[in-house]
Amino acid sequence: MNESAATTSRARVLFVDDEPRVLTTMRMLFRNHYELHFAESGARALDFLKSTPVDVIVSDQRMPGMTGIELLRAARELNPDAMRILLTGYSDLNAIIGSINEGEIFRFVNKPWSNEDLTQTVARAVTAARVSADATRAGDTAPPTQGAAPGILVVDDDPRVPAQIQAILGAEIRVLGATSMDDAVSTLERERIGVVVSDTRIQDHAVIGLISTLKQHHPELVTVILTERADAGTAIDLINQGQIYRFITKPLHESQCKITVTSALRQHQRLRQAPQLLQRYEVVAAPEPAVASTAGKLMDRIRSLRSVVKRLM
Amino acid sequence: MKWRKLLPPLALLLAAGAIGLLAFLALRTQAVDNTLHLQRLHQIRVVDALDVGLNRAVTQVGVSTMVNVTNDRATTTAQLGDALDALEQGPTALRGLSPALDAALDSFLDTVESKFELAFDFEARNILANQRLIAGIDAVPVTADDVLAAADAATQDTQDTVASLLRQLRSEVNTFGVVQTPVNEDRIRALLDQLDTLAPEQPEAFAAALRKLRARSADVIADKQELVGRLGTFLARPTAPQLQAVEQAYMDWHGAQVAVANQYRLWLAAYAAILLLVLAWLGLRLRRSYRDLDRANDELSHANEHLEEQVEARTHDLQAALNELQASQAQLIQSEKMASLGQMVAGVAHEINTPLGYARSNAEIVRTSLADIRSLVGAQTRALNLLTQDEASDDDIAQALSAAQAIAESIGAAELAEELDTLLGDTDHGLAQISDLVGSLKDFSRVDRSRTDLFDVNDGLEAALKICNNQLKHRIDVVKSYARLPAIECSPSQLNQVFLNLFNNAAQAIEGEGKLYIHTAPGPRGIAIRILDTGSGMSDDVRARIFEPFFTTKPVGKGTGLGLSIVFRIIEDHGGHIDVRSTPGKGSEFAIHLPLKQARTDASATSAEALAA
Repeated sequence: MNESAATTSRARVLFVDDEPRVLTTMRMLFRNHYELHFAESGARALDFLKSTPVDVIVSDQRMPGMTGIELLRAARELNPDAMRILLTGYSDLNAIIGSINEGEIFRFVNKPWSNEDLTQTVARAVTAARVSADATRAGDTAPPTQGAAPGILVVDDDPRVPAQIQAILGAEIRVLGATSMDDAVSTLERERIGVVVSDTRIQDHAVIGLISTLKQHHPELVTVILTERADAGTAIDLINQGQIYRFITKPLHESQCKITVTSALRQHQRLRQAPQLLQRYEVVAAPEPAVASTAGKLMDRIRSLRSVVKRLM
Repeated sequence: MKWRKLLPPLALLLAAGAIGLLAFLALRTQAVDNTLHLQRLHQIRVVDALDVGLNRAVTQVGVSTMVNVTNDRATTTAQLGDALDALEQGPTALRGLSPALDAALDSFLDTVESKFELAFDFEARNILANQRLIAGIDAVPVTADDVLAAADAATQDTQDTVASLLRQLRSEVNTFGVVQTPVNEDRIRALLDQLDTLAPEQPEAFAAALRKLRARSADVIADKQELVGRLGTFLARPTAPQLQAVEQAYMDWHGAQVAVANQYRLWLAAYAAILLLVLAWLGLRLRRSYRDLDRANDELSHANEHLEEQVEARTHDLQAALNELQASQAQLIQSEKMASLGQMVAGVAHEINTPLGYARSNAEIVRTSLADIRSLVGAQTRALNLLTQDEASDDDIAQALSAAQAIAESIGAAELAEELDTLLGDTDHGLAQISDLVGSLKDFSRVDRSRTDLFDVNDGLEAALKICNNQLKHRIDVVKSYARLPAIECSPSQLNQVFLNLFNNAAQAIEGEGKLYIHTAPGPRGIAIRILDTGSGMSDDVRARIFEPFFTTKPVGKGTGLGLSIVFRIIEDHGGHIDVRSTPGKGSEFAIHLPLKQARTDASATSAEALAA
């Protein structure tokens, strides 16, 4: 059923949930594929992680004592290579944004889950974890690449936003603005872009399709969402389909914006230098938009960007 | 202020004075009594007539000596005396009216008195003088005859002359004695003188007789003249002019009286005119005041109408503002309800989704495992069929059995059955949990119950605890101390909201682990609920404001600040009260008292409905 299980030594997966019956179910579901570990609270999970590195952590969000996000943030410090999956029954927006920005999670999985989705997600996480385990550390220590620094593309209805971000970041980083998806794609064709800062909607079109397509075909591009229309559902889709790097809300806070964007640039550098890491940021394919629509054409152009980006690289 | 009080009696006094003056003046104009005046004049006329009558009577006495004439005079005198008395005193008296009149009256009365005396004298003298006069007249013809006789010696002519003269003389003396004329006496003297001229030619006897005749004639003349003189004196008494003077004096007095009355009449007229003017002025004033009053009234009624419009407009505005306020309040309450509902749903969704998650997953696993079991069953069935078939070779049977055995081993049939049992048991448990939660949700919202109901508050506390269980479990030790409570009349869903809000607050106030004490007890008039937490507590400043709408200690966007104000409203609407005690760092205690029965008022009903909306 799973090749990774068959080929190498079994991957280690840690399940954390305060409901023991969930753990029982997980045991039944995954016992044939992975080396399974269970913890009934965040504290116990961290205790375990201190002694045993794992490939994937699947944690419930709402747990007494320590929430899933708190656990995953702490686990990221302890065990950065582990892929993090959050299992949520219901999460408020702040929990989701926190998990994106602080937990850098791989996927949200909603309760009640479908066994098939969950096994697939875990399988992908395991694969990504195994292929990238070594590269993660290597990437962190790699020297910065030569050549012109990649620019930042800001996609926002409000034309003042790029200027504000330019002002915050300073002159050494190039900031380009786009107020439509066409603009954004044209700029991507022309310029060397490392980070895309985008609102969730541009001219009343959701950008999730654009971001998802970009991530599928140009996984080294790092996406930061900057919006005032934050909602939990969109944020979950953006992480699952777009592997957005950060999610920040308007109004712009100077320090937050600066830290986020420079961190995103570093992430971009890391991805470029260690393409094997890209699997960690693999996305679920977004549903393809209707054919012949303008959006469909855009997606074609984005796919064709590959050569440009390749060339630039 | 004080003089205003004095105004009515003052006005009354003034009016009395004015009327008094009017009466006085009217009385004064009536001072001249016309009837009395006419009576007085008549009296004067009577006196005058009687005086004239007296004169006539006295004159007649002089001519005649008849007794009835004297009686006439006496009667007249008596009447005159009465009339004079009436002038002196009585209702028609003139005495004392004026000094001039008194003086005139005095002199008149003096004169009349003297006249009475003269009349009395005249009357007494008259009888004697008349007798002598008659004797004288009677003696004159005798003496004349003596003269004629003495002249018989004279010529015829002389005799004739003497006889004619004597005749003439006798006639003259007779005339003189009866009705005196101014020429009688002179004629008598002229006749005697003519006779004297004849005497020298005649004898001594003639002369002697003639002297005798002359003496007799002189006697007659003297008597007659005395009588005439007395009568003249009597008649000459100026009673008439004096009476006229009296009348005049009276008329003067009367005139003066009339003048005074007229003067008063004039005054009265002037006064009346002034009064009329004052009245007219007052009327004008009154009219003007009425007009002012009317205008003021008009203005007032206009203002009233306008005021009504204004009031209506204001009322309308206020109503609109009130509606808006109510709408926004309802909206706020709604948003708070939605916020707490969201929180509740978040908790409940997690509570439900977890059992649902593993129940569903377990069901899938069971179904997947069924395929293995089915293949095992298939293999075993085949082996069994072979066993019962006579034609089947032992080899075939052994093969089939080993195949079934292999499958059973590969799927770990024995463990699998056990595991599936466990999974289904878990699934049962999960479904039971879900149904329990759904049941408590129903209990909590009480949507299937009437708005006001008899309700055991302990049940409400339990329902609320279940709803917010995921905030409390593993972290907060809930210590319950429920007493048996009488069912109280209340809105259960609202009270549940109160409990949920308080439990949520307590859970948020407790960082990490803590305790929540819930205590209920029946009271004399209701029930008491105490909810204590070992949370962070609050300062007095915060405690004083927690029931204010929009007051929140949570960061912006984390709380509406309405939760406890809604708690307060609900408890107040139920006729109960809520108190809070708190010690920073130690915890808080909310004490709620609720009455057994609800006072029925529309106001609470409306706000209760607003809250329930």
